Amino acid sequence: MEQLIQELKEHLIEELNLEEITPEDIDADAPLFGEGLGLDSIDALEIILILEKYYGVKLANSAEAKPVFRSVRTLAEYILQNRK
Amino acid sequence: MANKGVDIYIGATSLTTALGNKRATLDGMHRGECGLRFSNRYAMYAGEVDVTLKEGYTRFESMLIAEIESVVQQSGITLMSGDTQLIISTTKGNVELLADDCENIAARAFLYTSAEAISDYFNAANRAIVISNACISGVSAFVVAREKLLRGECKHVIVAGGDALCEFITSGFASFKSISAQPCRPYDAARDGLTLGEAAGAVLLTTDYVKADAAHILLAGGAITNDANHISGPSRTGDGLYYAISEAMREAGVSSEDVGFVNTHGTATRYNDEMESKAVAWAQLDGKPLNSLKGHIGHTLAASGVVETILCVEQLKQGYIFGTMGFSASDTPHQLMVSATEQHFDKRCCVKSASGFGGCNAAIVLDMECRERGTVGDKRAWRVAAEYTLPHAEQPFAEFIRSEFKSLDQSNMKFYKMSDMCKALYVAVEQLLRIEDFGDVPPTRRAIILANRSASLDTDVAHQRIVNQHLAEGASPAVFVYTLANVAAGEMCIRHKIQGDNTFFIENTHSEMVHQQAQHLIESGRADAVICGWCDLLQESWNVDIKLYKNN
Repeated sequence: MEQLIQELKEHLIEELNLEEITPEDIDADAPLFGEGLGLDSIDALEIILILEKYYGVKLANSAEAKPVFRSVRTLAEYILQNRK
Repeated sequence: MANKGVDIYIGATSLTTALGNKRATLDGMHRGECGLRFSNRYAMYAGEVDVTLKEGYTRFESMLIAEIESVVQQSGITLMSGDTQLIISTTKGNVELLADDCENIAARAFLYTSAEAISDYFNAANRAIVISNACISGVSAFVVAREKLLRGECKHVIVAGGDALCEFITSGFASFKSISAQPCRPYDAARDGLTLGEAAGAVLLTTDYVKADAAHILLAGGAITNDANHISGPSRTGDGLYYAISEAMREAGVSSEDVGFVNTHGTATRYNDEMESKAVAWAQLDGKPLNSLKGHIGHTLAASGVVETILCVEQLKQGYIFGTMGFSASDTPHQLMVSATEQHFDKRCCVKSASGFGGCNAAIVLDMECRERGTVGDKRAWRVAAEYTLPHAEQPFAEFIRSEFKSLDQSNMKFYKMSDMCKALYVAVEQLLRIEDFGDVPPTRRAIILANRSASLDTDVAHQRIVNQHLAEGASPAVFVYTLANVAAGEMCIRHKIQGDNTFFIENTHSEMVHQQAQHLIESGRADAVICGWCDLLQESWNVDIKLYKNN
């Protein structure tokens, strides 16, 4: 789990162009959206791509994804539950 | 009172949509036909058009030439005369050409080169003006045309709008998850996204009564605004669209009482239609018959504003509006009088609106009545408050812009997500406004007018590379959103609260044209402060040269 969280943080930094942010700066339990990382609806769509590209996990749309997108930890939990 | 006494009439019109030519489109809408079919090529519903290719011209160019030619033939107005100006609106022009080779960009993939080929076909005396402002491009073109005619710069303008579908476009909208699984259903509770279409249309606008259409319909007002909220998501309040509609109505001298019907953008995405319901209610037009024609012909991008305006003209003449295909019951926050089927209206005036990526909105008023128009004050003086040119450097752009951004000594997480062209503009505008800022000029009185040569080709290539990989997970929305040049202007609108005019022109070189546009916005009282100039970036070569104009 912790390893997956670390890996996810690295993918988020890379794919969402979070320059000047290190994995240590991201709190796995902090809200992903709203504050901190300054993510918006386009980033939400990009996170859906990350889940599919690296983990083969599909999410239909960002509305359905709301509870999954709460934090890096909830993302990791969703991947573990749905990874084939 | 510079604008008094100039009437701008709608003249000859021509269009082609998924339902066919103008006659076939009107008949199809009257009969409630849907032009949207499942496209195997794009794996989605789409409104595709049969195009007769002209030798030596692309599909997009052939579409536009056919409509302009029809308007020229019907009206007897020639582009060979210096009195006639051609304005072309398109979002992506010949972007299809990138699919074959995105490493060496074809000359005709540049919008101005394509526009030049079209003007040359007609031996045009004036260089065509090209507007690429996302999905409001078509309505924007009417606003710009109107200003040119009011100022007496020409007697006639032919506004031509078109976009041709290709995988570049369809995969981009798919990446935003905004494509409907069924033919789109504007305003309906079950709507789940838009359906793309392709189309072209051309309209003669003239100050010559003799050349006007027999119904003598006037382009009585128009305005362009920005939400200054988000580059892809519609405003949650509808304020930007409301400002555009109310300003267009003020110019036209009409109140909500005078309006017979409203033809909105009505894309059928959840948030667009919600936003429009708020803006329409705010403008006190929620009691008026309203329709969206996208259920018949799809969202035809830059063509939509031109084609749907032509259809508004026809609806004004016939006295009833077409139904909104796919609509049965609404769930928008404000109840609108969406017409499911044809409906009569009793006033001889209508409002047409559009909204698009980059947070832009535009509205125009078409009117068959003679009435007192909104006044425009005495010509006001302007001054150049600040100017800034982004330096050139030998180092790679990424390194250069990073150090420029650092020197601003600010933190902004959004900066690194922007396209390179947008980053260049961001730094330049920060520096410009450090010389002199907007001061107490309110957001709706701020404007941004830009031009460049390569539109968004730098990002277009990046998106095309992704498309060519045919990835299972699809294209990147964060890349695709910047394949519209005006989105860079939209970022500036968010950052600096610019809610007034925002128009992006494509030109071969940095000319006086955009600066005259900015100066006229101030002279005519439409804006009090305008950021204006050139913003171009393509493959490591950049050129950003901007000014801040203010009223004196």
